[in-house]
Amino acid sequence: MGSRCIDPILKNPTKARDDIQIKMNQNIFIIIPAFNEEKNIAQVIKNLLEHNYQIVVVDDCSTDNTFEILKQFPITVLKHEINRGQGAALQTGTDFALKNNAEIIVHFDADGQYLVNEIQQTLVSLLNNEVDIILGSRFLQKNKKMPFAKRKIIHPVSRVINRLITGIKLTDAHCGYRVLSNKAGQKIKIFQDRMSHNTEIISQIKKNNLRFKEVPVTVIYNEFGQGVGSGFKILKEICLSKLSS
Amino acid sequence: MLQQIIALIIILYFIIRLLLQKQKQQISKNEFIFWFIFWIFSAVAISSLKWIDKLAINFGFSSSGIDILLYIGIIILFYLIFKIRLKLENIEKNITKIVRKDALEKIKKYDK
Repeated sequence: MGSRCIDPILKNPTKARDDIQIKMNQNIFIIIPAFNEEKNIAQVIKNLLEHNYQIVVVDDCSTDNTFEILKQFPITVLKHEINRGQGAALQTGTDFALKNNAEIIVHFDADGQYLVNEIQQTLVSLLNNEVDIILGSRFLQKNKKMPFAKRKIIHPVSRVINRLITGIKLTDAHCGYRVLSNKAGQKIKIFQDRMSHNTEIISQIKKNNLRFKEVPVTVIYNEFGQGVGSGFKILKEICLSKLSS
Repeated sequence: MLQQIIALIIILYFIIRLLLQKQKQQISKNEFIFWFIFWIFSAVAISSLKWIDKLAINFGFSSSGIDILLYIGIIILFYLIFKIRLKLENIEKNITKIVRKDALEKIKKYDK
């Protein structure tokens, strides 16, 4: 019995390792909040499908063809009938993943900014149970592709403000890439529907004493993204939520 | 004197409208009581302007009674706006809960 089991592995160790990886990946849920991403979403999903992850896209009431494009892929699509924001979409996807016994939950942007082939290497600490949550950082490696204003002005200011609000020192306070263990997914609840959910997640990491680690991620900028105006909106949302709680 | 009369006529108009809305059941009992008391207080304050003037002087304010009423009115307005914003915040959260529940229930239709 033992020799019959070992034989196929010895004959093709690479395939055996790949088979094990494929089985493990089925417990990894990639949550992608999407709003009007018809230009990028198809390529992102094609790249993810090569790795046999459980892909969950939350269409946040897109007004373009995002939802129609999603239908052609063998993935799970959740649709918000009213636009609620990225934070709300992430929580919807996370709730779905937890209901389906996800061991690992990855938050991944729909705009193709992050590299799919970096996901596996970022999971190591989580798989070894060294941490409960992994936060991506665009600043742990040289990132010359980031617009100057973001790299030198907007993000440094947001780091300081984030530290003042959450008490946690991070190199990147607003990276959309993060990996949660099942335990972290159950503890962290996103109530901020819009862009201040990043700060809220960090606050909850501290509140729940979750072990965390930052890992470098490569980011490809297709457009500028959030600017100073968004920063003020985030601060306003945080203040309102503290007053209403 | 003329200004007080005009103000009292306007307040009377608002009270009559309030009573009509209550009759048509367009506002709740609590809302009716709140605004009715508010307009009664306003009418009393407008009628007692000379007394408010004396009170303001006794407290060391240089402004007249009507200015004091204006400041108090603005403070009340800001407070009401603040309460409305908090209520809106809660409404938004509840909308998200409903939208999420709907999205999670309809999952089977889109799953391949």
